[in-house]
Amino acid sequence: MQYLLKATKSIQEVTQDKMTRQEIEREVKNVFQREFEIANPEMDADLRETYEFDSIDAIELLLAIETFLGTEISQEEKKQAINIRTINQICDYIEKIAIKRNLFSPA
Amino acid sequence: MERRVVITGSSAITPIGHGKDQIVKSLLDGVSGIKPLRPEEFLSRFIHSKVYGTVDYPIEYDFKRNHRKTMGPVAYYACQVAKEVLAQSGLTEEFITSGRLGVAFGSIHGSPTVQRNIYRIFFGTEDKLAVKEIGAVDYLKSMVHTTAVNITKMFGITGRVIASGTACTTSSQSIGYGYESVKFGMQDAMLCGGADEYDTTTVAVFDNLLACSTAFNETPQKTPRPFDKDRDGLVVGEGAGAVMLEEYEFAKKRGANILGEVIGFACNNNGGDMILPNLTGITNTLKLGVENARINPREVDLISAHATATKMGDIIEAQAIDAVFGNNPHVIGLKSYTGHTMAACGAIETIMSLYMMQEGFIAPTLNLEEIDERCAMLKHVQKVLQQPVNIAAIQNFAFGGVNTILLIRKFS
Repeated sequence: MQYLLKATKSIQEVTQDKMTRQEIEREVKNVFQREFEIANPEMDADLRETYEFDSIDAIELLLAIETFLGTEISQEEKKQAINIRTINQICDYIEKIAIKRNLFSPA
Repeated sequence: MERRVVITGSSAITPIGHGKDQIVKSLLDGVSGIKPLRPEEFLSRFIHSKVYGTVDYPIEYDFKRNHRKTMGPVAYYACQVAKEVLAQSGLTEEFITSGRLGVAFGSIHGSPTVQRNIYRIFFGTEDKLAVKEIGAVDYLKSMVHTTAVNITKMFGITGRVIASGTACTTSSQSIGYGYESVKFGMQDAMLCGGADEYDTTTVAVFDNLLACSTAFNETPQKTPRPFDKDRDGLVVGEGAGAVMLEEYEFAKKRGANILGEVIGFACNNNGGDMILPNLTGITNTLKLGVENARINPREVDLISAHATATKMGDIIEAQAIDAVFGNNPHVIGLKSYTGHTMAACGAIETIMSLYMMQEGFIAPTLNLEEIDERCAMLKHVQKVLQQPVNIAAIQNFAFGGVNTILLIRKFS
């Protein structure tokens, strides 16, 4: 997986622009397809129940999010991810961090 | 309480084939699985020994992503033979997940392929982010009990886990400790075995110790040569083997197809040198095994010797066999077919002995053309013998001075 991640450029490297919610959702879906072999996941499905997504996947996902954002996620922020259950919640989580880092575009 | 322990499933991935039909055919046809060492960018150019017991045929895996993500190559081998053994045994899912089935499985050091990638990250860069490239799963793929717990995860096995990591006695201990677990009532069945993946690090270790074969680099199939006067060392190999051990009454009651019986096991240590073979230690192991099986040594009619084809190892083992069994049993060195499959060798050699027992033949030691006179007191086998085998002893010895013997009996 690490080699795949290496090839993924962060949003800043690619566009120098801020990211939109649509871009976040698209990237999360890409990560799910690429890393977890889950195509077109339902946005509000319980990931554990529907897709057997587990704690190991969650750690890998956080790493993928860091690469995507081009910024480190602090230990405290990572702990906040513990209750995430759905794709929509993952996107909310990324959006929140992006806002904090001034990387988010509401447009 | 002592209970009888029978074998109700067996499978192996070896340099001479995958599954019983291919392996038996190779043993009967005298096929060697030794191939040229594959060139890679890391160690192969420095290693003097250019041969390897290679699994060079495709294996079709259909493991789900959820399982694959914690598996290195060694766990693929392990889970595949485990899957085949579970299917063959006919045990129900209810039993498999009941806690009455345990797993005894190991490899010499997890997945060296995965470990190599970790080291590459450690030593390749000082970039802070690069350290994050060590995935959350890399430890799970490379830890020493990776084979055992990937098996328990894949099949929902909830009994005990024994993950021996004693180099060349890893899987003979797996079977031995699995046997004891069932014999003494701790579990009703144990899935036992060992696996090791293709790895040049192991070759480099033995090469540095001058223990690897180097004189047959141009003719790989001519080495290793257990007990032969021209033997010049071991050949490292890869593979996996697994057996299902089960309490006899339970197996009988459910109508299982019983393939053979484990009747004895012994393990001891030389208590001294970690590398040199020790005649007293090995002789004691063989005596302990015979005592444990409660048989007369003369009842053993086949010995699968550890026989790595090192100069001293084969001589010491021959002396120990002579002291305990005399020249009554036929003696063979199965590593002449596969090379030394490390953590898998005890299981693979047990399974091959079981196959010969089932099919009524003894495969010769390959490349045994002129017997070393210091090993000549034994009853060596130089061509296929069509004859029944009732009791076989499988001997394995490891770095660290660990010795094991397993005794299996034909089931009738």
